Amino acid sequence: MLAYAARRLVILPLSLFLVVMVTFVVLRLTGNPVDIFLDVTSTPEQVAALTEKLHLDEPIPVQFLIFLRDLVQGDFGQSLQFNEPALQTVLQRLGGTLQLAGTGLLLAIVLGVTLGLVCAVWRDRLADLVISSLAVAGQSMPSFWLGILLIQLFALNLGWLPTSGAGGWRHIILPAITLATILLPNIVLITRASVLEMSGEQFVIAARAKGLSRLRVLLTHVLPVSLNPLLSFLGIQIGTLMGGSIITETIFAWPGVGRLMLTSISNRDVPVVEAGVLVIAIGIALTNLAVDLLQMLIDPRIRRH
Amino acid sequence: MPTDRSNTAPFGLTRRALGRAALAGGAAAGLGLPRPAQAAGKTLVVGASVFPDSLRPGISSFASSSLISQTNEALYSRNNAGQAVPGLAESHRQLDEVTTQFELRQGVKFHDGSEFTAEDAAYTINYVINPANGYGSLARIAPITQATVVDKYTLNLTARAVFPTILQGLTNIQIQSKAYFERVGFDGLAARPMGTGPFVFQRWVPGDRYELTANKDYWGGAPKVDRIIVREIPDPGTRIASLVAGETHIIEEVPIDLIPQVESSSVAKLDEIVSSVGLILTYDVRVPPFNNPKVREAFDYAIDKEAIRRELLKGRGELLQGQLLTSTTFGFNPALKPRPFDPDKAKAMLREAGFNFRTPIPIATQSGKYLSDVDICNAAAGMLSNIGVNATVNVVEGGVWTQMQRAQRAGPMYMIGWYSLGDADFAAVWFTEGSRRSVWKNDEYERLFVEARSTNDQEARERAYHRMMEILHAENPAMFLFGLPSLYAVNKKVTGFGAASDKILRLAAADIA
Repeated sequence: MLAYAARRLVILPLSLFLVVMVTFVVLRLTGNPVDIFLDVTSTPEQVAALTEKLHLDEPIPVQFLIFLRDLVQGDFGQSLQFNEPALQTVLQRLGGTLQLAGTGLLLAIVLGVTLGLVCAVWRDRLADLVISSLAVAGQSMPSFWLGILLIQLFALNLGWLPTSGAGGWRHIILPAITLATILLPNIVLITRASVLEMSGEQFVIAARAKGLSRLRVLLTHVLPVSLNPLLSFLGIQIGTLMGGSIITETIFAWPGVGRLMLTSISNRDVPVVEAGVLVIAIGIALTNLAVDLLQMLIDPRIRRH
Repeated sequence: MPTDRSNTAPFGLTRRALGRAALAGGAAAGLGLPRPAQAAGKTLVVGASVFPDSLRPGISSFASSSLISQTNEALYSRNNAGQAVPGLAESHRQLDEVTTQFELRQGVKFHDGSEFTAEDAAYTINYVINPANGYGSLARIAPITQATVVDKYTLNLTARAVFPTILQGLTNIQIQSKAYFERVGFDGLAARPMGTGPFVFQRWVPGDRYELTANKDYWGGAPKVDRIIVREIPDPGTRIASLVAGETHIIEEVPIDLIPQVESSSVAKLDEIVSSVGLILTYDVRVPPFNNPKVREAFDYAIDKEAIRRELLKGRGELLQGQLLTSTTFGFNPALKPRPFDPDKAKAMLREAGFNFRTPIPIATQSGKYLSDVDICNAAAGMLSNIGVNATVNVVEGGVWTQMQRAQRAGPMYMIGWYSLGDADFAAVWFTEGSRRSVWKNDEYERLFVEARSTNDQEARERAYHRMMEILHAENPAMFLFGLPSLYAVNKKVTGFGAASDKILRLAAADIA
């Protein structure tokens, strides 16, 4: 297992290199930061100075090599928008996104697994039908729309929660629910299917035959192995969660890295975009690795492959 | 024993997860997200649509000027209508063709308690006009060559030539304290703005909020509220919700389709003013079909502009009168009228001009840059389609847009808005060759533009602008659409606030009942 993890970590830099390169080339090809940052009335001297500072007079491959040279020394460069080290800009805003995505993810898992279990236990009964239908409906609901509905209901009509912004714990509730809903329906459906599938396995029948209660068998024998498909799903969907985070941050005026990336892309603030992309890519890669390792821990059969 | 672990607790997983949730919540509090500080007295909260990237002075965007002008002031400032009014300077007089003398306001204090004098003004302006400093708004006062201190409260500005728009230009130059500027440097100004303005910097959280407290010693009178919080709320629906919920008192940029939400609420009302932006559709006159003036004129008859204003702008803003300038701008030509909507005439003219109806005419626009921009383009494309023109709408992302603009390859037709800020000079420049933004060229227009810029005789300037507007009207380098409104929504308890044509928040007199 350790060897596997080591192998994965060795090829990680290659994936990251590709991510960094594609991001760089696409941003450079589709917009010139000098045009964006200098006023339309700027003098030719101002244009020339910034062009030289950003090495925009060099061919793109050379620009990329210069960027890479600084990068391996841990220097993403100065943010054009914020006039401070790009990594610092990203890390400042990362906390907000981690807090939101973490809360949303936790909410989705806790609620999703619970509801999925309920559906599996009372299969084809009323609870199952209601929850499963809601889950299917939820899958087809755009998260921005849900966000707007939540604001309307809980902030405007009931006045219980703030509409937007960051502050105390009350501020995170609506955005976290909005974000959780992106994954929640699938978690419910996957848990349900997986628990039902496992319930028919030999080891479950054996456990029951030993006289264990239905509940104990469900929670200690069925549930842990049923989590594997769920983990695979989460590993794949962690990127979706980041994407959803951008929309959620925008609707709820939540100061996170998602919105930062959006404005940085339209401003062609390459250092910030690169720093953000790299931090997110490392996060996703490590999450995927953790998911794989966790699956091996849970299900010994996977370790042989 | 396989059942060992199960002895801990049934539902163990869920309970552990809940425990983690509680822990995560606790940890999150320490992640550095801002908490509102304890407020004493009255706090006015503003919901802004967009924040500038930083508080660096000299960025010409309205978002930037709006925040910076809370702490720092210019020699002449603008009022909500966009006119230049005395600010840190009380008056000015022309000493000769190129020298203007300013009498400065006496007894004005910076937030650090030091006195504002001509030294501060001269230092700031001399910094701005030094090209090596790369100051963003330099172009606004580019003709100025030197700022000289005459005495403690008198300043002379010398220009390299006649500079008739000097007051409007100066409204964009925020005066810094010389001592503070020298001590903290340019980056220090952005990190902690310090000026003579009505509000004192407290905290700046990019992407979230800007907090200020009242400057009780403000020369214009102490602000009515004790604290200002400007929040960035990018989503317009959320912005309005925050106003209706009472979390904000003033919000910027109300989109037309959400106006009913404001009007139907019992707590808020709409506040609007015509901005000085003229929204136009510019043609590429270098290549067919728009190198033919007949085709451009025909297109002008094909669009029912009044209907678009009625339906898409809900009757707000104004119809441009067949020219670039809005009706309140200096230089506006009242003799010109927009061409009427006449699709039959348009079609006939196009046939006569030998227009090929199969030519694809994509109308390029950004999304959300101007009020209802994409909707207006869609409507225009629809009306063109009605007379058989193969028109489509091409929505372009911001970065790509600037690249297209720089290369002067924005396609046959594109939507853009030019601000005049009250004086024809600032808008008219975009149809001159020197602006590098116009592919249409006209010798007489060029000559008149230079003439108007080279005299302090306001009547002569006005005559020149009137003629230039006539040329634009006759030549149709663009289709002139609307003077866009600047729309705010305000809590009914707020007094002393007005919508600003230049989108600068003026809050010194604002109060909450």
